[in-house]
Order: sequence, then C-alpha cells, then structure tokens
Amino acid sequence: MLVIRRHPGETILIGGEIEIEVIECGRNRVKLGVRAPQHIPVMRGEVKATREQNLEAARSIAGDLPESLGGPSRGGAVVPLLGGEPA
Amino acid sequence: MTCPTAHWGPTTVDPSSTIEFPEGLPGFEACRRFVPLQHPGRAGLVFLQSLDQVDLCFLALPVAAVRPDYSLALSADDAAMLGFAEGFHPELGADVLALAILCLAEGQAATANLLAPVVIDIRSRRAVQAIRPDRRYGCREPLAVGEAVCL
Repeated sequence: MLVIRRHPGETILIGGEIEIEVIECGRNRVKLGVRAPQHIPVMRGEVKATREQNLEAARSIAGDLPESLGGPSRGGAVVPLLGGEPA
Repeated sequence: MTCPTAHWGPTTVDPSSTIEFPEGLPGFEACRRFVPLQHPGRAGLVFLQSLDQVDLCFLALPVAAVRPDYSLALSADDAAMLGFAEGFHPELGADVLALAILCLAEGQAATANLLAPVVIDIRSRRAVQAIRPDRRYGCREPLAVGEAVCL
C-alpha cells in the first residue's frame, strides 16, 4: 500500500480523474473530499460491506421459505408490525 | 391496500403500516418502500417485504432480541435523514425501531448485521439502514444459542 503524508488542503490524484482532498484533520477523524467522474462509485468502506451483506441476506431467504420460518404450509396470514394508526 | 409478497401471496396492509427509505438500502437503492410483517407463528421475527420488488424480503430481528444491551448509535447524516434535530437521542422502542437484518447462509450459523441496523422512525415511518459510526458491532454477528430463530 502506498502511504503518503498530507496536510489539510493538500490533495492526492488517482489516475488523473480522481482527486482526494484532505479537508480537515481532527484527533480521531479525517474529513476528506472526493472528486470523481459520475461513473465511478464512491462509497465508504462500511457501505460496501453492508451492501454485500444485504445482497447475501436477500439471497439467503429467497425462494421457498422453510416451514420453521412460517412458510406457506404453516398457514396463517402475516400481519403488519406497525399499527395502522395515521402516520 | 393489497400488496404481493414473496412468501404469502397477496396481503392486505394499511398504507400507514409501510415504511420508506428515502435512499433505499445499500445494494437495493431502488427499493424504497417496504412493509415490515410478522407471522403469528414466528413472533419476534420480522419479514421486511419490499413493495417495489416482490421477490425481495429480508428477515430481521429487533436488535434487542439479538443483544439485549444493544445501544443505538446514529451518524449525524442518518439522524438528519430521519428528520431528528441535532443532539436528539432517539429511544429504542419509543421513538424508533431498530431491526438487524439476518443472513441464513446454508450450512452456516445465522448471523445478524448489528453494524447497520434498519432504523425506523415510528412517527414518520421513515427508515434508513444506519451504519454505526463506531466499530462496536460487526455486520456478521452470530446469533446466540437459544435465540428466537430456530432455523
């Protein structure tokens, strides 16, 4: 991994199209600005992990629901968790 | 209103029982409207049924059912998305519901995403999958033995 020391206000360029600016540096956190073309998704690392987790979670209960989870053979309709009071 | 569901066919729900994610969920950005459902035979479990994509239905548990001592941590962005004033700390159960999405990979123990619970404002019915600003929990936390889910 390339390690570069930067001061607030300084930037890093990646591939000529992506620019990362160090905006502010706190005790535990760094505020960064990212300038990138629209076709390049920019997201926090945790969002990527959550995205992958969501896709896997959705896949994991797709298809027939096991009876132990209230599959159709168990009968009984599902009911909303939130009451019908006006929002 | 009647909505098609992934597992139980058409189901009638009151429109006020639905929730809206203004930005969708990571990986499902176009899916904004959901209805959280419960099956009488599986009390505690929540089926998060998408109204925009019929075959999308997440399985979830309230965070307190996974970790009784769970405390919510919202980033400033997520709090603003839910319309909370700065410095407001919503109370679990009273102001917001927080649901951990479960993953039931075949042959493996079920896990819960406690890093990014679905947080629902009970009053406005707005929701966001709120990634914790701290690292207190992970996105694949094992369910304790004897928990509500017998899979």
